[in-house]
Amino acid sequence: MAVLEISDLVVSWDPATRQRLPVVKADVVARLRAAADARAARIVERIPTDGPNLDDAAVDRLLVRAHTELQRLGEELHMAQRFAEMLVPVLAAARDGGVHPLRVVDIGCGLGYVVRALASSGVLGPDVELIGVDFNPALVGEAQRLAVEERLPCRFVCGDAFALDEDATLYLSNGVLHHFPADALGTFFRAQDRPATAAFVHYDIAATRLAPLGAWIYHRARMREPLGRHDGVASARRAHGDDVLLAAAAQASGMETFLFEPTRHANPFCAAMRPVIGIRPALTARFRAELGRRAKGLVGPR
Amino acid sequence: MIPITLGVLALVDGLFAGFRAATGRNARIRKDAYNRRAAWRGLGVGAAGAAAVGLLVAIGIAVAADPGQRYDELVSAGGRMLLVLLPFAAVVVLSLISYLLLPMRESTFVMVLALGPFTLVRPAVAAVAGIVAAVGSTDRLVWLVAAVATASVLMVEPAVHRRWYSEPV
Ligand SMILES: C[S@@+](CC[C@H](N)C(=O)[O-])C[C@H]1O[C@@H](n2cnc3c(N)ncnc32)[C@H](O)[C@@H]1O
Repeated sequence: MAVLEISDLVVSWDPATRQRLPVVKADVVARLRAAADARAARIVERIPTDGPNLDDAAVDRLLVRAHTELQRLGEELHMAQRFAEMLVPVLAAARDGGVHPLRVVDIGCGLGYVVRALASSGVLGPDVELIGVDFNPALVGEAQRLAVEERLPCRFVCGDAFALDEDATLYLSNGVLHHFPADALGTFFRAQDRPATAAFVHYDIAATRLAPLGAWIYHRARMREPLGRHDGVASARRAHGDDVLLAAAAQASGMETFLFEPTRHANPFCAAMRPVIGIRPALTARFRAELGRRAKGLVGPR
Repeated sequence: MIPITLGVLALVDGLFAGFRAATGRNARIRKDAYNRRAAWRGLGVGAAGAAAVGLLVAIGIAVAADPGQRYDELVSAGGRMLLVLLPFAAVVVLSLISYLLLPMRESTFVMVLALGPFTLVRPAVAAVAGIVAAVGSTDRLVWLVAAVATASVLMVEPAVHRRWYSEPV
């Protein structure tokens, strides 16, 4: 049975015009019930409506609240440092290879925690432009507001992961891959295999058997919003396996692809994050050298 | 020693409860001042709760037929409470230290496997401590104090959250 996330169902965009489309509450509730997810259906039933449709403003408020809580998880799991651990070596390799200008684009950035944290710490260097992309304007607007408030050198724009306007030296994402069906992942990775791209680093939940239990405990302890608690567990249940990710990433045929410290190298018992990495073959040697001992954690396709 | 240890535990727990009450409500990157302030608020509310418990104890002793015996009853109930609370507090403190000191990947596991679940079981631990303290005594005041103390510790986080952090900043 399909595992659904509420946050995917309560907003809808016209892929061509990127206009927001109305979402009929009864349709969402029916889909969730058809997926045998009565709890999610009840959560959606509580969202205010505007006629038969979900009220856009109420949905936006709810998503901003849930993402604000989600940021705490990213902070506790040191996601910004984990990205820096991969990005600093990639960008060093790119600089060496004469790539300029350097630009990092976060796909599905939500409130842009990773981009804002990287901008705030300055670890990537002042020559790196930082941009966050998300198709939800409410989240993009909030991310931009937060960045301005703290005077962080980064910016946020609306866009679709499958039709990116921005070229980038490096594409990254955090907790986004599981939102796409396995058969769309190839398209997602291919869309990033552009002349300007040096690498991508996409972190997502490792699909272990105990990941849903770990996610339940952790989201229950750390989030208050029922939507966030629900979607956190659903994310762990629908996370893609290592082989699925590696096979899809390999469709970016101009890249060498790896997982970094997949679950067999780490703790198999709980919800953990691990990245799928793609890098231009010309940069791989330097990337490995920069990683040092940690390069042993890179695992390519079997 | 037992009353002081309990008081210190309640205050430290208040600091953490205040911190937790404010989490997930501020998406800024630099928020040390915000977190500190929340912890102080938790401490304040926790101290008010502890003072209420202290007052209850003082009145209970003052009106007792045998104040000395009642004091001893209360202290031994407090000792039973600590039997439950201290091991839990020790494990939490150890996990916190490892979270802060370990490299980022290992510290993630401490967070997901230990500190997250500890937050979840904390109310149950407090309740068990209250029950263990109460059932060892036949003095109704001991029951009342155990119940009020447990409730006052558990209400710090919701109270701070409702008063100051019900909406994202
Ligand atoms: C689980 S959230 C992760 C948010 C953020 N990366 C973080 O770590 O907090 C997934 C995000 O992906 C965005 N998203 C999903 N599909 C997308 C698409 N096709 N294009 C752009 N963004 C998308 C959603 O709007 C949402 O903000």
